[in-house]
Amino acid sequence: MLSRGLAYGWLAARRRIGEMVLPVVTTATGAFLVVLVFGMSDGIRAQSASLGHADEIGRAVVLIAVMVLLVGVVEVAVATTRTVAHRTRELGVLGANGVPRAPVVAALLVEPAVAAVLGAVVGAALAAVVALVLGATGFVPTGVAVGGLVLGAGIAVVVSIVAAVATSILPTWIAASRPPIRSLSAGG
Amino acid sequence: MLSVLGIALAIACVVVVRTISSSFAITGADSVTDVLGGAQLWAVPAAGVHFDPEAQALVADGPAPELALPAGWTGTRTLSGVTTVNGNVVSLRGSDEIGSGKALLGSALADRLGVKTGDPVEIGGQSLVAEIVGGGQSATVSTELARSVVGEKGWWTVFAPRGQEKDRNLAQIFGTATGLPSTSDPAVTPAAGGAGLIYDTVGGNGPLTFEQKFSALFSGKVTSSTLGLISTIGLVLGFVIAVSSFLAAVQERKREFGIMSSIGLADEVLYFFLVESAIVFVAAYVIGVAGAGIAVALVIPGIATPIAWLQASAMVAAFLPAMAIVGALVPVHRLLQQRPVDLLGDR
Repeated sequence: MLSRGLAYGWLAARRRIGEMVLPVVTTATGAFLVVLVFGMSDGIRAQSASLGHADEIGRAVVLIAVMVLLVGVVEVAVATTRTVAHRTRELGVLGANGVPRAPVVAALLVEPAVAAVLGAVVGAALAAVVALVLGATGFVPTGVAVGGLVLGAGIAVVVSIVAAVATSILPTWIAASRPPIRSLSAGG
Repeated sequence: MLSVLGIALAIACVVVVRTISSSFAITGADSVTDVLGGAQLWAVPAAGVHFDPEAQALVADGPAPELALPAGWTGTRTLSGVTTVNGNVVSLRGSDEIGSGKALLGSALADRLGVKTGDPVEIGGQSLVAEIVGGGQSATVSTELARSVVGEKGWWTVFAPRGQEKDRNLAQIFGTATGLPSTSDPAVTPAAGGAGLIYDTVGGNGPLTFEQKFSALFSGKVTSSTLGLISTIGLVLGFVIAVSSFLAAVQERKREFGIMSSIGLADEVLYFFLVESAIVFVAAYVIGVAGAGIAVALVIPGIATPIAWLQASAMVAAFLPAMAIVGALVPVHRLLQQRPVDLLGDR
């Protein structure tokens, strides 16, 4: 049943790809920054050493990059809430036909998960290309660490999926728990 | 609700960066006030001075310029350099007024070293009796001892003759008398190979004091670095989220606004949105500032001070109203371009 829910969600997500552009772009911006920060951590450390407190500044940079990534992911959750509101009647039909709650929630979570992964991967790939080009052309005197890029990309993908699903689960759960008759009679 | 979270995160980013930058600004202002001690002019060596991040104080990079003080002027030649005390890097200054066997420590330095008045401290191979005087991050010892540790490195702090302290031309008068160039801009560094430079703390144009300009140099280093760039991007993202969720809210409530504008309440729609967006932004501000406070206390306890955090919060509050108003105007503009009939017909 769960796999059918996921397949249904996948089909719906493909249809609504146009509405996923903004969340994907915001997540990608966050992921871009996280990967760049990790790739160029040596340079940032050198820059902050002149100010003192080099370790703490380094931690603050990572903290802020992750926060920006979370800002991007919040847009994914906002888009999910909007989608759920649009599809209230569809959820009512599913509920009236006896589909249990778990597959419905799974179907609704496909869209934020796809948006988060797409955003994180696009952002990370873009950042890796930019960092490698900058490194090759000599704009970054301290060099670009490939290990850092990979670590940053991993963190970006994991954080954005976890955050997107965690913030989207509440609105979808509430929507799927509503009595079908109320969802069916709602406008939209 | 979610848009509040997004904006709150964005505001938290900016508050964290601003906290760091105002903390550096405070350090910068304190360090220069500590050096000047009320003097009007500060003559630094040709090699310049720099802020030593480990000693957390200003340190001279070369021998103080040779000065022959004109009649009526008083000046103090201070030796300055770094040394280590119990493995900590400490800024060391020499003063003629201190007898041998004594070391004056600023209270901030005493806290860092864990030394109380009367405790022994070892500086330059000599055991001295510590005395805690004033704030600051420097240890002051007799000139003789300081010279043995840091050599001739140092600077002059110069006081004008009585009655002329407020004269805006002090630096020019003193510069002509001693042959040194002068500036009121702390960003200017002495010419290498020259005789030195006079920093003028009373003259210059513009409303900022020398200390303020000096601290702006420090905070500018943070805001113009990677940190500042990232936080600005975060704020822009947060704003995009706010506008996009306001636009979504408009879509959902078209009919409601159609009814309002069909009975002639077009202006009230704007007020509705202003109030709504103000509530969203104020809630986001409160959450963001509190979140940033917790984050800086956990992640960067060494930099963040409550005062720096408050300054950062105030600074973010200054541009919040503008964001709230723009965030409300965009959806209202969209709405008012449509005829009430169209709004009513939509579902």
